[in-house]
Amino acid sequence: MKHDFIDRYSRLQSPVHDLDPRAKTLALFALIIACVLTPPGSWYSFCIYAGVVLIIAVASNVPMSYLLTRMLVVLPFVLAVAIFVPFMHPGGPTVDLGPVSVSREGLLVLWGVTIKALISVSCLILLSSTTHFNDLMHGLERMRVPRFFTVVSAFMYRYLFIIVDEAERMKRARDSRNFQGRWIWQAKVIGHMVASLFLRSQERAERVYQAMTARGFDGHFPRTVELRMRAADYFFMAVVIAIAAGGRVVAIWA
Amino acid sequence: MHIPDGFLDGRTMGALWGVSGATTAYALYRVRETLDDAKKVPLIGVTAAFVFAAQMLNFPVAGGVSGHFVGALLACVLLGPWEGFLVMEVVLLVQCLLFSDGGLAALGANIFNMAILSGLLSYYLFALAKSLIARRGGEKAAILTSAGLFAWFSVVIASVACSFELAISGTLPLSTGLPTMVGVHSLIGIGEAFITVAVLAVVLQARPDLVSAYKSPGLSAGLPAGEVA
Repeated sequence: MKHDFIDRYSRLQSPVHDLDPRAKTLALFALIIACVLTPPGSWYSFCIYAGVVLIIAVASNVPMSYLLTRMLVVLPFVLAVAIFVPFMHPGGPTVDLGPVSVSREGLLVLWGVTIKALISVSCLILLSSTTHFNDLMHGLERMRVPRFFTVVSAFMYRYLFIIVDEAERMKRARDSRNFQGRWIWQAKVIGHMVASLFLRSQERAERVYQAMTARGFDGHFPRTVELRMRAADYFFMAVVIAIAAGGRVVAIWA
Repeated sequence: MHIPDGFLDGRTMGALWGVSGATTAYALYRVRETLDDAKKVPLIGVTAAFVFAAQMLNFPVAGGVSGHFVGALLACVLLGPWEGFLVMEVVLLVQCLLFSDGGLAALGANIFNMAILSGLLSYYLFALAKSLIARRGGEKAAILTSAGLFAWFSVVIASVACSFELAISGTLPLSTGLPTMVGVHSLIGIGEAFITVAVLAVVLQARPDLVSAYKSPGLSAGLPAGEVA
């Protein structure tokens, strides 16, 4: 069964896909840090960050519709803040919005969290849509992220597909026995399903692990192609980090 | 509850990165030999994948709000507190990098809420309650009762921390944020407690050797590691 809900589009061809995962991780991380530390009123800085993200997005060939859909993940938090804006900073200067007037400060906070969340989240979406999971983890390993994290992530990634497969099989079996709806009295069935899903996945995973050790797995995931930082990778990293720093500096004056 | 980037100020993010980083360093020291244990590796991998998958499923709470499973206490009860803590960190890291669920700069805060408070703190309170209840009844019943209780607590305490972090950062005032967050999450906590107890009850019955918080006399004594399955 093919599951591509995790790193969809990571197998496309583009200059961004060809970059070393370390270069992409560090550059985009720098961009996120610069962005979240910029005061909300610095319009020019946010234009600069958004411009960089847009250029990378266009160069990556990842469909814009996909990027925009994935960006909706921050929506619940933005809405939560938006609801409470009228109650913030009472007594300060206000702005009239049709029938209601809300505080200027509150609107500025809302604008700040929204723009920062959108720019940061598009950086992360671009990273995962242009880098295969194994490469991303190998890049982190080469950046000295502790082995526990990279090994457990690698296992998690493999076993995730086992769990999804097992869940689909159980769901098919359940539905073919005329189970319908999501009601409170069906909670017991769902509880049992979740629990046996865990056990079934565990027992399959034990067999997978035994098969891996039988074939010589020693806790390291061997690779046929080693990662190598080329001139283009250093160039990309340097340019993005410089722009991120530049954007943050602009915010001091503008 | 995964806080995205942009909602916390630099001070809050930095402080929580510090706390989470120090806890991680100590946890890594505690589990330095775990990855050599052939029996634990698949269990850690499956637990991580299971928590990860369960966090993607949303269940409806009152008023159109939906919540999802956190799984930190379940991971700690199954694997032990430090392994469970690190598994939660892996889940949060991968969710952040791959699903952009929770920000990268805000990762320290999310680790603090959902791995330290929901995981470590809730686990030690669970262990305390378990040993108190176990004096009067069976150990399995004690595990299930206290797991249900502190699974609920683990979700609520994370939402309390989350609203304080948002308030300190000036994003959401405490007077409105705290009651809303806690109200919604005490409902989500019921779902959390239900799933945690459901999974633990079945695992305790079928494969008690997989539950690290359960020490049955005679089970761990006779069998060599890795040959239980």
